[in-house]
Amino acid sequence: MSRKLLFALLIVTLFLAACGPSVTATPVPAATQPPATEQPVAILQPTAAPIILTDGLGRTVTLTGPAQRVVSLAASNTEILFAVGAGAQVVGRDEASSYPEAASSIPTVGGWSGFSSESIVALQPDLVLAGGINPPELVASLEQLGLTVYLLPNPVTLEEMYTNLQTVGTLTGHEADAAALVESLKARVAAVDEKIATVIERPIVFYEFDATDPAKPYTYGPGTFGDLLIQRAGGTNIGAQLQGQWMQISLEQLVVANPDMILLGDTAYGETPEKVATRPGWEVLAAVKDGKVYPFDDDLVSRPGPRLVDGLEALAKLLHPELFK
Amino acid sequence: MTMLQIENLFVSYGPRCVLHDVSLEVNSGEVLALIGPNGAGKSTLVRAASGVIPLDGGTILTNGDDLAALPPMRRARYLAVVPQAVSLPPAFTAWETVLMGRTPYLNFLGQTSASDEDVVRRALQRVEALDLAERRVGELSGGEQQRVLLARALAQSTPILLLDEPTAHLDLQHQVSLMEMVRQLAHRDGLVVLTALHDLNLAARYADRVALLVGGKIKAAGTPRQVLTPELISAAYHLPVAVVPHPFADALLVLPGAAKPPMS
Amino acid sequence: MRRLPYLWTLLFLALAVLLSIAIGSVFIPSVDLWRILTGWLSAAPLPESLKTFAFIIVSIRLPRTALVLLTGAALGGSGAAYQGLFRNPLADPYLIGVASGAGLGAAAAMSIQWPYTFWGLLAVPLVGFLAAMLTVLLVYSLARVGKTVPTTNLILAGVAFSAFATSLTSFLMLRSTGELRRAFAFLLGGFTQAGWNPVLTILPFLAIGLGFLILSGHALNLLQFGDDQAQQLGLPVTRTKTLILVAASLATAAAVSFSGIIGFIGLIVPHVMRLWWGVDYRRLLPLSIIGGAGALLLADVLARVVMAPQELPVGILTALVGAPFFLWVLRRAKNQGYW
Repeated sequence: MSRKLLFALLIVTLFLAACGPSVTATPVPAATQPPATEQPVAILQPTAAPIILTDGLGRTVTLTGPAQRVVSLAASNTEILFAVGAGAQVVGRDEASSYPEAASSIPTVGGWSGFSSESIVALQPDLVLAGGINPPELVASLEQLGLTVYLLPNPVTLEEMYTNLQTVGTLTGHEADAAALVESLKARVAAVDEKIATVIERPIVFYEFDATDPAKPYTYGPGTFGDLLIQRAGGTNIGAQLQGQWMQISLEQLVVANPDMILLGDTAYGETPEKVATRPGWEVLAAVKDGKVYPFDDDLVSRPGPRLVDGLEALAKLLHPELFK
Repeated sequence: MTMLQIENLFVSYGPRCVLHDVSLEVNSGEVLALIGPNGAGKSTLVRAASGVIPLDGGTILTNGDDLAALPPMRRARYLAVVPQAVSLPPAFTAWETVLMGRTPYLNFLGQTSASDEDVVRRALQRVEALDLAERRVGELSGGEQQRVLLARALAQSTPILLLDEPTAHLDLQHQVSLMEMVRQLAHRDGLVVLTALHDLNLAARYADRVALLVGGKIKAAGTPRQVLTPELISAAYHLPVAVVPHPFADALLVLPGAAKPPMS
Repeated sequence: MRRLPYLWTLLFLALAVLLSIAIGSVFIPSVDLWRILTGWLSAAPLPESLKTFAFIIVSIRLPRTALVLLTGAALGGSGAAYQGLFRNPLADPYLIGVASGAGLGAAAAMSIQWPYTFWGLLAVPLVGFLAAMLTVLLVYSLARVGKTVPTTNLILAGVAFSAFATSLTSFLMLRSTGELRRAFAFLLGGFTQAGWNPVLTILPFLAIGLGFLILSGHALNLLQFGDDQAQQLGLPVTRTKTLILVAASLATAAAVSFSGIIGFIGLIVPHVMRLWWGVDYRRLLPLSIIGGAGALLLADVLARVVMAPQELPVGILTALVGAPFFLWVLRRAKNQGYW
């Protein structure tokens, strides 16, 4: 840049900095035209009335019509959006949104260490879908910038998860798809319940999702889907007796509890059944001796979306293989 | 005609009484040397008189005005202290250091005027340190630093000057020249000078009056001849001493270790 | 560069402000920047294509620049004040517990679900701020001996309390159900709140705190000679030290409550200013304030672009960049007796 330009920019910037709030901001339009490139138009439900919902923070959120440009701030939200058929309407995602495959081509707007308001604004979304994992300050910041934000609360039961699916369906104009999805999920869950009802023996399960300290690994306690789904899949979760949702359990307690099988939810961090066998003191566990240490995709029980049902089925197969051929 | 009156001073560090019923008087134009063994309370007396330690009892008056009741700023216009030249902030120049002495006359921001700078210049001249003005204090020798501190006290333009063992870390030549200056400040400029000294011979030579402080109490006060006697000094320092006339100055000389034991 | 310290430091700040406005996770080409600026000046309506960029600059970058500027100013200024007060080159604004207190307060506040209202959203910074000031009060009371507050006692009490608060915070974080990441982000330092609200909220505290500090340059100079000499020269030592402590802590606590714990600025900026332009606190304080603002702005720009669109916590960057830079400056300093 030429020096005169630089100098002029300098002066002007200082002048602007002094003006501050008096410079009015042009609000981001609530519903913009979809990008000019050819994209398949999703099947939209004809809704003439505006969509008014109350989100997880108790805020009343109003959309003039189904959202066409959605930014998802949580991996679970991205999964839900794609599952209800709104994948084409997602224009921004968080870094952890790895599923489904199609999501990887969507630009990211931030992740574990924070989100870039600029990137979100630049995408001109008409809806920002936040999750329980995002702090309320973030919602407030984005709201202040004129964006429409909906915070999908963290479900605790499968029913609450179904409600979330329906909410997202309503927000994106895919109510029918969402309803159909919920029905199919309920059917699959019912099928599992039916088989599990016949079970007499419930294997004792130790589910590990973090073993940074092999003498005190982390497991799911009451209130988590990990715990809920293990129970529902016909198992007994060792972590159920702990006081808290994500708790450490000592090796000693583990030896006393002597689980029938060990599920490794931390395979993403490099844990394998072979490595577990080499951990000092673990060789005494029955599950290790019998080779009943299995890797498990933690996303299936930790992301509060439709794949929880996949998780339930996977758990049921592991716990009661004889029932699920 | 100013005078410093210390009356019935009691000072303690916690439960320990370090100054017990100390009374002293110093007139203008006079140098009073405070002597005594280490731990007797000499520095404590100087600090108490300058208001740094609270008093348990007694008063400090100047011409009848109670100094102890004054806020630090006002007090600093009556009384200036020359501390020992140890751990001074090394990065200030001599000029800047002496300029600090004008604080009692400056506002909170420390804004100085041309007249303040005049005072500083004259103070530096007085102690023959004007050529050191732009040098950083950290680069100066012990003797030079001590002179700068003396100049700072002079810049305070006070009638009373307290010195706390100013010769403690100085070479011989600096000890002598400093005490010369101090004596001149009293005799020529009429200041009230109270100096704690550990060197008895300097006291003998440069003080008009001497006070002997032992264990927090004034054991004796008077002219050098009256106080610097073998009996008093031996008793105070637990060491036999001889006191002889100085070979070429009109003063006494205190020598440790006597030819014969002192008269009991 | 020996002369004109204010000119150079202000230029540095202006440059940092410029970069902060021009650079972010969204790349705005200089051509567009220029068109936006000329558009504003001529009061002509902006073309649609530039509206988003303009919005980003005005609604996101400008308030953020202001917040970062104020935070850096607070850290630089109070860092210089603490170093002067404690006569210790290792002193920084967190010495007597402001950081640990704020961290504890924030972590505790984060474990409660506040309602989504104006005050509810202000809860975490407010509790952090109050906890920080309470810590200073506690440490001060612990350190007091009669009528004086010896600096050694302050440091000891501050270190002890910080250790206590930090361990409590760690415990809270471990026991928290999901707030761990949020609390951790706070401890690493970063600017998550957008808009002018944080700026307007901390402005009065900074104005009071930093305003007083700027006026205290002479007093800090005197304090370099030790409490005794300062008192003998006429400074009411205990009262002045207390006021300086309160002013510096006020500014730091306000800054920290929104930005989390950002280290190194308060430690290094005063040293650099001292190395280049001397120890006179009448000048060192304003220079540290300006320098701190500029330094933090630069660090924040880096934090925004290094891993875009993710934003790195600023505290990581200040340490990563600040330490080597300071070592470089130290080696280049000709006069080693600068302290």
